Amino acid sequence: MTPLIILASVAGVFLLFLILQVWSRYSRPNELAKAAQLIPVNLDAFENLTDPEEEAYLRLNLPPAEFRSVQRLRIRVAKMYVAAMSKNASTMAFVGQSARAHSDPEIAAAGQNLVQQAIRLKVWCVLSATRLNAGLAFPGVLSPSNAIASRYLAVKYLAASLPGKLAA
Amino acid sequence: MSYEHFIWLYRYLWIAPHVLLLAVAVVMVRKKLHRDFPIFFAYLLFEFLQFCLLVTMVYVKISPALYFRIDLFDRAVDIALHFGILHELFVAPVAKRLPMRRDMGRILNWVIVVLVALASVFIGASYYKIFNPSFLQGYVIIGTLNAAQCGLIVLVFLWHRFLGLSMSPFAFGIAVGMGLVVSIEPLMQAWKILVAAPTGKITDIVSMAAYHAAVLMWLYYALAREKATTGADAALPQLIEQAADMGRIAQL
Repeated sequence: MTPLIILASVAGVFLLFLILQVWSRYSRPNELAKAAQLIPVNLDAFENLTDPEEEAYLRLNLPPAEFRSVQRLRIRVAKMYVAAMSKNASTMAFVGQSARAHSDPEIAAAGQNLVQQAIRLKVWCVLSATRLNAGLAFPGVLSPSNAIASRYLAVKYLAASLPGKLAA
Repeated sequence: MSYEHFIWLYRYLWIAPHVLLLAVAVVMVRKKLHRDFPIFFAYLLFEFLQFCLLVTMVYVKISPALYFRIDLFDRAVDIALHFGILHELFVAPVAKRLPMRRDMGRILNWVIVVLVALASVFIGASYYKIFNPSFLQGYVIIGTLNAAQCGLIVLVFLWHRFLGLSMSPFAFGIAVGMGLVVSIEPLMQAWKILVAAPTGKITDIVSMAAYHAAVLMWLYYALAREKATTGADAALPQLIEQAADMGRIAQL
């Protein structure tokens, strides 16, 4: 009987989850719009934190224990930047989604492209955060990558180009 | 109150949702939604044809063995289509970009394998000592696939939330309707065994009513899509403002 009760309970919780989804869709229809605020990201600082040359310099000039401690601190800060980029990617995807529904096919196409690129960036942010977490565990072995900065910049320019297209 | 009192309600709940499925399919074709959700469209048509076949078989009075064999085949195809629909919902945000769609499809396939394996282990281990193996087989398969589908529907919602995208009205309707259908079965199973008499038909009627509600939901959200599209211009001022902010940041 116990497994049957567990399965029914799981189904009950799932049903409540569905009710919550319906409720939040209608009670807070502009929730995503309200959350669509950009967090400023200083890409120079991020690139500095993940710069391999900077890391090599620190490795050479600091004792191993101190290097690991400093590197962990740098990775923690870099993680905060990646989290901000991830949040901004969601905002840009939301902006793209709004543009995608526009009656002008050019704007709609630009919005569609922005959504795709923002989703791609979001996935990259997850991968980057995973790599940073691994670097946090093994600061002396794994170096963080700053490849995401250029991707972020490209998507941001794509989003910034939308107003010109909207005015046309 | 005997089952005879419910016979008209029972017939209504058997026939009406299937007729409404056809209405959903017609709305989908008119709004070109069948291009975005081809598997769901196929599911609607399959369900309707399956219903026609089963009704014919009931009135022609064929052998129960053949009836159950065809019913089993229908259920298997139903489950396969359910997974296909969940796949469609999962890749809906990147529907027009083939390489990303393929990548996400691959990720989802792995997620399905993991969820089905986890559910199999849990349900198989739990029921092995209680039921005999012949009962175990069918029950485990249905329970496992229902649990995996519930997990996948949760993932579809979380995936959209993670991406920061709001689900299109029709995708939302499909997900909620399907969730209702797959979650009601374990609840009714528990009710049948723990509360109602095993031969009681109330649980059947509740299951059929849930399916009816799901079909009505699909119809409502299929019709609601046009409203959302025409109202998209209302979001334009906000879009311009947000994009302008991004422009300013990009210039820094």
